[in-house]
Amino acid sequence: MQLQIDVNGRPRTVDIERKDGLYRVVIDGVERMVDAAAVDGSTFSLICLADGRSSQEVGLSPTGLPGEIAVHMPSGVASVRVLTGAASRFGRGAGAAQAAGTQQVLAPMPGKVVKVLVKPGDEVKARQGLIVVEAMKMENELRSPKDGRVREVLVAEGASVEAGRPLVVVE
Amino acid sequence: MHHTLTKVLVANRGEIAVRIIRACREMNLRTVAVYSECDRTALHVRYADEAYAIGANAPRESYLRIDKLLDVARQSGADAVHPGYGFLAENAGFARACRDAGLTFIGPSPEAIDLMGSKTAARAEAMAAGVPVVPGTKDPLGPDVADAEVARIADEVGYPILIKAVAGGGGKGMRTVTQAADLPGALRAARSEALSSFGDPAIYVERRIMRPRHIEIQLLGDHHGTVVPFVERECSIQRRHQKVVEESPSPVVTPELRRRMAGAAAAVARRVGYSNAGTIEFLLDESGEFFFLEMNTRLQVEHPITELVTSTDLVHWQIRIARGERLDLDPGRMLSPVGHAIECRIYAEDPDHDFLPSPGLVTALRAPAGPGIRRDDGGAVAGVVVPVFYDPLLAKLATWAETRSMAIARMARALDEYDVRGIKTTIPFFRWLLADPDFLAGRIDTTFIDHALAARNGRPFLEVPEDAEDVAAVAVALQAFTRKAPAAPGPAAPDSRWQRAARTEALR
Repeated sequence: MQLQIDVNGRPRTVDIERKDGLYRVVIDGVERMVDAAAVDGSTFSLICLADGRSSQEVGLSPTGLPGEIAVHMPSGVASVRVLTGAASRFGRGAGAAQAAGTQQVLAPMPGKVVKVLVKPGDEVKARQGLIVVEAMKMENELRSPKDGRVREVLVAEGASVEAGRPLVVVE
Repeated sequence: MHHTLTKVLVANRGEIAVRIIRACREMNLRTVAVYSECDRTALHVRYADEAYAIGANAPRESYLRIDKLLDVARQSGADAVHPGYGFLAENAGFARACRDAGLTFIGPSPEAIDLMGSKTAARAEAMAAGVPVVPGTKDPLGPDVADAEVARIADEVGYPILIKAVAGGGGKGMRTVTQAADLPGALRAARSEALSSFGDPAIYVERRIMRPRHIEIQLLGDHHGTVVPFVERECSIQRRHQKVVEESPSPVVTPELRRRMAGAAAAVARRVGYSNAGTIEFLLDESGEFFFLEMNTRLQVEHPITELVTSTDLVHWQIRIARGERLDLDPGRMLSPVGHAIECRIYAEDPDHDFLPSPGLVTALRAPAGPGIRRDDGGAVAGVVVPVFYDPLLAKLATWAETRSMAIARMARALDEYDVRGIKTTIPFFRWLLADPDFLAGRIDTTFIDHALAARNGRPFLEVPEDAEDVAAVAVALQAFTRKAPAAPGPAAPDSRWQRAARTEALR
């Protein structure tokens, strides 16, 4: 089985097959043999045979973004996107276009809009405050991702917003 | 003097409600929990002997409703109320309403809360007790005081200044202003936050001491005039004026300085006839001079580290004092810490996006265990939703060891074990902090986090080494492969080391 994935922004090609009771995993042409056991549906105990049977516990969790998986390891968390099949639309092209052009500022958490600091047509600097959202008793100022101009303000003061809701469009 | 208590209403939620319920059980007291709509299945509800619904999720409609809490006390036949911290813990009106209803309030008197809750009155008491204070305004500046007048006062105190909510705490309603031009905006923000958080827009102005350490003295007072101060806590690691890491003892406080600071704290408490648990906060400047900052008239979030280095239980003592018992702690022992303790406040926040709250569904969770670990949490387990309505504190994690460096190493080990999935947490931030050479050397002040974060220049906390990226690739491939062929990992799947360890421990 072959997968095209993206680990922390780096594209990787992974082949995996069962071999001699182990797993043979080839990442970008480099082979390793792995003794893997599922602890539960989303947690694996991995023993990599290459380096003196180094043992690791790895946990997987969906991030809420389609095709994206957070991989929890003792050294931290890696973000993995599966690019093969239906998830391939999250390829690099889309991201590049977004960075160059219009950007939406999304609500990072559910909360209430307490103040809108800009109006359509305003010139804004990167990291300039655009809108203040209150959640968990704290006022959080959301900032512009880039130098540009406010194209649209999509919410009014006092509005309750869900996580992921577009609030301001900067072009 | 000594009176019996039988049933305690815990007027709070989350980990502190659980902490208090545990203490009550240990002392053979029955417990009454209250809950808002989203807290129906919260751990404090499940652990309590009785539980009552008190309204909608917004704190103003539930945990801040004095009338509903008193109704529950009556209905349940509770004879005492523990407010925890946050919510109504420093609300003199609540303490008074409890007293008027014949309930024992497990905390200081309403008079003491009133007096020390007003930052300006508290400063005056400290000065009267002969304790130095930071230069600033003597009287509260209400909403009727014009901006121009505040600007004049700010000039007099001298920039940089801090604007603080008179009724405040925890960094809310607080702003640093370095130049006069920034004052109007900061004033508006501070007043609006003070009003929405504490219902009082009054503020005051104080000189900002540069690079101070935040050192605080826990104390207990009984109803017979005895006040016992404890070894200091160092709480200099703050973000947005919120403590995130605390330790005891401080790496820089000598026994001689400890005696002086403890003496100053006790003098203030004695002067105001303080009873029950409280904490006096000081700023310690680079020359070793200390200034009274404020008093917290309640139990503190960070109380466990004091308990760990003094072998005491502060909540037990709060209850015993409320029953009229005499403090019989050895004051010398309370100022002689054994070993070192450190606490990290694990928040449901995303350290890679300005620490924005990250509420939501916890998809998997394994908490650390083993020697020297103390974890107080509100019952976050897989399947639980962290609500958006309250402080995003997921758990307090404290470690104890014989030395500071080993307590830090033990904390790092515990954080490595802590596996929380589904929501973002501050665990990666703490992993980084605990490896910082200045932190390890104890070279910290209250601006440490701001400077260290600025120096990172946005480098993500969740960065992992390249070989770990390979491991991540293996794991994702495995999951995809085994889902296609579910029989593959099959019966060979043994327990993890972690599960075996936990089970062995449970059998001990």
